[in-house]
Amino acid sequence: MSKDLNGRSIQRRTILKAGLAIGTMQVVSPFVVRALGDEPVKIGLDNPLTGTYAAVGKNELIGCQLAVDQLNAKSGILGRKIELLIEDSTSGDAGTAVQKARKLIERDNVDFLVGNVNSALAQAMAQVSNEKGVLHIVPGGHTDGITGTNCKWNVFRVCNTTRMEANAVSSLLFKTYGKKWHFITPDYAFGHTLYQGCEADLKQLGGTVTGNELTPLGTTDFSAYLIKARAANPDVLIVLVQGNDMVNCLKQIAQFGIDKQIHVAGTQQELEPVEAMPPEARVGVWMFEWYWKQAAGTPGLDQFVAEIRKRNDGKVPTARTWFGYVTIHAYALACEKAKSIEAKAVARTLADMELPPEVKLQPNKVYFRGGDHQLMLSAFIGELLQKGDGDPENLFKVSDIVAGDSIAPSVAETGCKMDMPA
Amino acid sequence: MSQLILFNITNGLIIGAFYALMAIGLSLILNLSGVINFAHGGFLVIGGYLAYTLTPYLGFWGALLVAPFLTAIIGFVVERLLIRHLYGRDPLYSLLLTFGLAFIIEDATRQIWGAQGLPVSVPAALSSPLSYEFFFITGYRMFMVATVAIVVGLLFVLLRYTRIGVRIRAGTLDLDTVAALGVNVRALRSLNFAVGIFLAGLAGVLAGGQLGLEPTMGDGLLMPSFIAIIVGGVGSLTGTLLGGLLIGVASGLTAVIFPSASEAVVYVMMAVVLLVRPRGLLGEEGMMT
Repeated sequence: MSKDLNGRSIQRRTILKAGLAIGTMQVVSPFVVRALGDEPVKIGLDNPLTGTYAAVGKNELIGCQLAVDQLNAKSGILGRKIELLIEDSTSGDAGTAVQKARKLIERDNVDFLVGNVNSALAQAMAQVSNEKGVLHIVPGGHTDGITGTNCKWNVFRVCNTTRMEANAVSSLLFKTYGKKWHFITPDYAFGHTLYQGCEADLKQLGGTVTGNELTPLGTTDFSAYLIKARAANPDVLIVLVQGNDMVNCLKQIAQFGIDKQIHVAGTQQELEPVEAMPPEARVGVWMFEWYWKQAAGTPGLDQFVAEIRKRNDGKVPTARTWFGYVTIHAYALACEKAKSIEAKAVARTLADMELPPEVKLQPNKVYFRGGDHQLMLSAFIGELLQKGDGDPENLFKVSDIVAGDSIAPSVAETGCKMDMPA
Repeated sequence: MSQLILFNITNGLIIGAFYALMAIGLSLILNLSGVINFAHGGFLVIGGYLAYTLTPYLGFWGALLVAPFLTAIIGFVVERLLIRHLYGRDPLYSLLLTFGLAFIIEDATRQIWGAQGLPVSVPAALSSPLSYEFFFITGYRMFMVATVAIVVGLLFVLLRYTRIGVRIRAGTLDLDTVAALGVNVRALRSLNFAVGIFLAGLAGVLAGGQLGLEPTMGDGLLMPSFIAIIVGGVGSLTGTLLGGLLIGVASGLTAVIFPSASEAVVYVMMAVVLLVRPRGLLGEEGMMT
């Protein structure tokens, strides 16, 4: 089980002090010696547990915990137990995320840092981990820069880049729905890069943008934007907002009956918001970064789904759960392969490392690309289902699983100049 | 273009009516008790979630009637146990208390109902647009506006013509005198707080049909409501109503011309009002100090 080290380190320090002061107490000293000899590998998770991203943050946590428990049940990492230290980064406060990252690195001496769901927080944390030379995996922040212009030798990313998301669906939407697109875009780093990707793809395909509605994060009422979008008379309305904003937007689209007049679609879609929508709002073509219902015989998949259901009140794993799971397993595999937990050695091994079937849980080759440290994960493309097919949580019909390296821009295009220290 | 503007004015009035419902509840509490209730968004969330839980048993209409009352009872208890101890102190105390309460409510909601949002459907009879042309006027949104109009109308009648209402209004102007005249100010404040929270609970049930039901849904609605009070004028419920409608229309119109400023425009409005007419459009002189 994971523990908050905050409580535990105080406890151990108290025991140490007591041991030193009394000196003669034989009961204490063997414990202290053992504790030093078996120093666990410490992993710090600095991710949202409160605020807008609490639901997805919690799912990433559950995935991490499963991987840690699985590894600890065997031989941990290099024979050492793994200890998962959890901090709430908040959903939007970069200051708190950085402070928690510093606490995990400086006070708790974690060997490996994980976070963050929010792109901006992930980038802020990457500054800290890079300065301190600690290996860092970003499980779920999508903005291009993390493995692009701001790439760093110690930072890896598990989820897609926004450009990969745009590339995954653009040509399909163009072919099936038409060439005039109108966008509803969240007005921050993630939305801007995602829009730029879609716009570039659309121009290449020969289509036109009828408008781009930049909406502030946390928008509750989309009616004014929807009125404008419908007046522009596009073929497709592309919804790029995420999370609860997506729930609000699609709910209002359905109530206004817009989905019956214009095709509604988007790029990234996740199971968490889809489950929070009423059936009538579940419309359109999207891409998932990972999906739990795949062709029978995908190695390890059934077991993974069953394990998560057991831990999460019967709920199935989402892409977020998988991100957490992959993050921990990838780190452990790289440590074993490098026979070290030293950050540079692990980073060198992780670059270009391919994930085994029981970790990747999908077809296609899944690997970290050495040039930008971006995981080449598949894109699951398909349509939302209003009612669960065979299972109440099966709300997406996957029509195609596209390999990550076929939708990712080349390393040169990402703008990443990897600076691996000797 | 002119059609677009007309659409957005109408649409802005619909949104504004909702802000007004939130803001009037806040305003009631602020006027009589001097408490800036930062937990108002939290009570809205409680109302929404209670309705979600009650719907399988009572249906949408039953939940719409019962959930706001339950929320008001919770509000009453909170006022009795916590908030009343801070009356008469610097408003900063109650502001900090309700600020903390907002976090507690958010986390408690997450514990009870889960971090993930819950799906809420509106009754089929209300769920479609009334006409193809005016697609943004749906049965549900009309129903929301009608509910707000009825409730606000009733509230104004209550304040104008009943003994309690007169006492609340008198207390807003001079609480010491009202107390000296033998009115039980403690009970008056508790009741008034509960009425304010009732409006928050009602807003929560109504919002659940339009927005995703999740623990932070109150956050985005609270700020416009505060601004509605400031623009309309502290101390004036009519002003608050007007303020709510105004910011709804302003943000709707801005969305036509300069979409990314549609959020900022309400703050600009607030700044202009504070500079040019600090007491607000219909506020009493001196209420802001």
